[in-house]
Amino acid sequence: MFRDTKAALVFILPAFVFIGLFKIWPIVLSFGESFTFTSITGAKTFVGLENYGYLFTEDPVFWGSVKTTVLYSLMINPLTVAAALGLALLFNRKARYTGFFRTLSFLPSAISMSVVAVVWGIILDPYYGLANSMLRMVGLAPQPFLTSSTQALMCLAAISLWRSAGYWMMFFLAGLQGIPHEIYEAADIDGASGLQKTFRITLPLLTRTTSFVLVANTAFNFLTFAPVYILTKGGPRGSTNLLMYESFKSAFVNLDIGRATAISSILLVIILLIAVVELRLTRASFDY
Amino acid sequence: MRRTVAVLILVGLVGLASVSTFAATKLEVIWMGWPKDKVDVLIDGFKKANPGIEVDMQLIPFAQLFQTLEVRLPSGGTPDVYIVDGPLTPSYAARNFLLPLDGYFTAEELKAWFPASLETGRYKGKLYSIPYATSSAGLFFNKAVFRKYGVPFPPEEPGKRLTWEEVAALARKLTIDENGDGQVDVWGFMFEQIDRPYQLLPLVQSKGAQAIGPDGLTTDGYINSDKFVEVATFYSKFFNEWKVSPQGIPDAAKSREYFGNGKAAMMLGAEWNISRLADFKGLEFGLSSHPYFAGGKAVTPTGSWHVGVNSKTTKKDAAIKFLKYITGHEAAVEWTKLFGHAPARPGVYDALPEVFGNPMWQTLFYEMNNTAVPRPVTPGYLEYELILRETFNSIHYGADPRTSLESAAKRIDRELRKYR
Amino acid sequence: MNSAGHKRQNRGVSRLGTVFLLCVLTVVALVYLIPLCWTVASALRPASSLYEYANPLTWRTFVPDRVTLANLQNIFVNLGFGRALANSFIVAVASIVLGVAVNSMAGFALAKFQFPGKGLLFFMVLITFMVPFEAIVIPLYLVVSRLGIINSYYALILPAVGNGLAIFLFKQFFEEVPSELLEAARVDGASWMRIFWGIVMPLSMPVVVSVVVMLFMFQWNALFWPLVAAHSSQYQMVQVAVATHVTAEEAHWANLFSSALAASLPPMLLFLFLQKYYVRGISNTGFK
Repeated sequence: MFRDTKAALVFILPAFVFIGLFKIWPIVLSFGESFTFTSITGAKTFVGLENYGYLFTEDPVFWGSVKTTVLYSLMINPLTVAAALGLALLFNRKARYTGFFRTLSFLPSAISMSVVAVVWGIILDPYYGLANSMLRMVGLAPQPFLTSSTQALMCLAAISLWRSAGYWMMFFLAGLQGIPHEIYEAADIDGASGLQKTFRITLPLLTRTTSFVLVANTAFNFLTFAPVYILTKGGPRGSTNLLMYESFKSAFVNLDIGRATAISSILLVIILLIAVVELRLTRASFDY
Repeated sequence: MRRTVAVLILVGLVGLASVSTFAATKLEVIWMGWPKDKVDVLIDGFKKANPGIEVDMQLIPFAQLFQTLEVRLPSGGTPDVYIVDGPLTPSYAARNFLLPLDGYFTAEELKAWFPASLETGRYKGKLYSIPYATSSAGLFFNKAVFRKYGVPFPPEEPGKRLTWEEVAALARKLTIDENGDGQVDVWGFMFEQIDRPYQLLPLVQSKGAQAIGPDGLTTDGYINSDKFVEVATFYSKFFNEWKVSPQGIPDAAKSREYFGNGKAAMMLGAEWNISRLADFKGLEFGLSSHPYFAGGKAVTPTGSWHVGVNSKTTKKDAAIKFLKYITGHEAAVEWTKLFGHAPARPGVYDALPEVFGNPMWQTLFYEMNNTAVPRPVTPGYLEYELILRETFNSIHYGADPRTSLESAAKRIDRELRKYR
Repeated sequence: MNSAGHKRQNRGVSRLGTVFLLCVLTVVALVYLIPLCWTVASALRPASSLYEYANPLTWRTFVPDRVTLANLQNIFVNLGFGRALANSFIVAVASIVLGVAVNSMAGFALAKFQFPGKGLLFFMVLITFMVPFEAIVIPLYLVVSRLGIINSYYALILPAVGNGLAIFLFKQFFEEVPSELLEAARVDGASWMRIFWGIVMPLSMPVVVSVVVMLFMFQWNALFWPLVAAHSSQYQMVQVAVATHVTAEEAHWANLFSSALAASLPPMLLFLFLQKYYVRGISNTGFK
């Protein structure tokens, strides 16, 4: 650590001009909205914690939505991080096929959400979809997928995994480049197996990247909204009604900015708490 | 090197930004995300007639249309003109986003539209939006499927219609598992829009139930009334008891794929299907008038897109000129040819005998004149529609109709408080 | 060459490993290829209905029997798709140039300097990507309007320059750059700017590549902000152009799939080109 405050400020200032103006200031304004009621003429009145109080005590859908969101995150976060890491380890070698596979797994994140939704809508169509055609071909019973309140959330998680694993893989690939090769060479001399090297060297030395992907991915998944909006509209029977979708509906359809910003503020607190835990957990093994 | 690149790009950006600031009068128009080539054709006539006015058509994808308007309308003078979903007129008018238009149209000019369509553009006695199109609906049926299973066609003469009970009976007969694999190959009946109040409220109204209280701000006691619940229960049976309709086919485009590919025998659908379904090779379809409940009255949906002028526009004259053009006879004729929506101007029906000579259009024309009932008039239509739509969606998945509607009434009424 | 000797030792294990690897690769390939092939096939076959080839399932589902470029030609010639591609490209490149510069500098300050207020600044960096965009879009619109840059390329570029995720990623990566290296350069009298651009950044190409791809994808996939912030049709961006093929009444499948295909090519090519920076594989210890 260097103690050159002047230099540090020069380095940090440009980014914070942009962030301050276009991120922090709007966030502060938005946070302020969560303590107000906006009338139909646009006039705002301060209502204190009323929006939060209503959410916690009276709102008929809020707690169900919290549960769904937490459940979704518990499913998708570990899955995505594991898949991204797995893909990166698998394709971080010099072989002719890796370029093809890396690009292939990265490709879904480059496809418009509106098209991803259509494609997966067709694949998972309960009656005439590809997935059920395949299930039937191997003699299994067709599944309702997105039209079942027990399967829809899992299907959303699967689609999200498909779409984003290759994207997060990219960050792990970058992290893998930073591991000094002497360490592997030394391990080879000691006769370590591939698996041993992965668990004893690669993973510990990848913790900074891992903590980045973990935190970024947590935020990303808690704020999931587009697939819900396009594919399920929160259904069947509220089973995919993620908090972010609730907030979106409040802001842009129900014209209830107070409720919308209260929900996103609650989301922020949840994500921050989890992120702090994740950063703490991964910090332990930082120094080598 | 790096710095040079950055400077070059910045200079380029300054150049690009400054190019955009010319033109005498430039109208910003928010329009539905319809295909650009077709919209270009539509406004060509206006550009030719008004060389001093440039029109910037901003095509917004449907899924983002309403949220885009919600960000842009509260904060300024653009867009100058924008497309308005008919029933949202009161919502925008109540928030002072729309210019009252009464002074700009003579009584004579206003006669060119269906009175019911114009009514949708009024709020508290003032005219705020001009109908661009209207709509109607009926029961489309696949003739080949009916023939194959020896079922006689539903009546095709205008005004002769099946009851919903008869439709349900036919649907049970025509839900078919052709090869006995436990998988339905032909569904008896489907709703084109599985959960939208637009398509479902006519069922309710046919039974004599109200969609909203007379003040336009109360739903408790209306959407949870016995009659409303009875209809919602009937609707639920299509999916859950008789199992003659597929669950979870959420949008119009997909329902049409089912029907067009012979996977459904009947579909309650809107007028645009007449031209859309013609795209399916080998599909032979008919149109029967909108069904009704025995003992009730015939009710059909109506209303569609309107056009309004931003109350804060600085280019009022040009905006009105454009509004008159885009909702006028020529543009309506052009658009009907391109897209197959039902025009809101009776004159267009006479001008296009090659389109409207089709007996199916005669059926719909009859409905527009005799059975059409507009959607509820409320400044809270955005909220009303969203919550009711979610409720119908839950019911179609098997949720209990009464408890779902009770909870919907509570939620809608809370949202509508802000308009009191 | 250490790895050669290592391979000889493990020949027996390695044959089993190869079979296992092949199985894994096949599964990965299928998971990605099935939806992608269907998308590409739908874009390249003559306009047809959505389910025509999806059911029943045959190999024709994935391989068009007649390939046509008519759909692609249509979107470029009649629907002005080239303009949208160009706009997105301009916006993405400008955001990358500015974004990499300011975010890397901020990340460096947070990684290597100790100064008052650092904790608070890092906290601000974290919350910028934990607040949903939908929650700040209205205040952000007001800020951008006040600056007088609404409806211009600036409105699309400037808000995306300061990126909390990018700063966070750079910080994680720079922490691994040995401080002794910087210390030595300081002793030699190099300025911090010189050290940063001359030593640190060239060492950090993998993470720079990741941030380039990240900022590119962010702008390339932008949909809602371009609609409100740069509304004139001359600024139409690529995802907007794709999404207009799904309307309230219908979807133009051929246009939708072909524009999505065209839109996914630039990010794919970028990734294909840049991934040569992820080359130092585990089994490849030949150079240093």
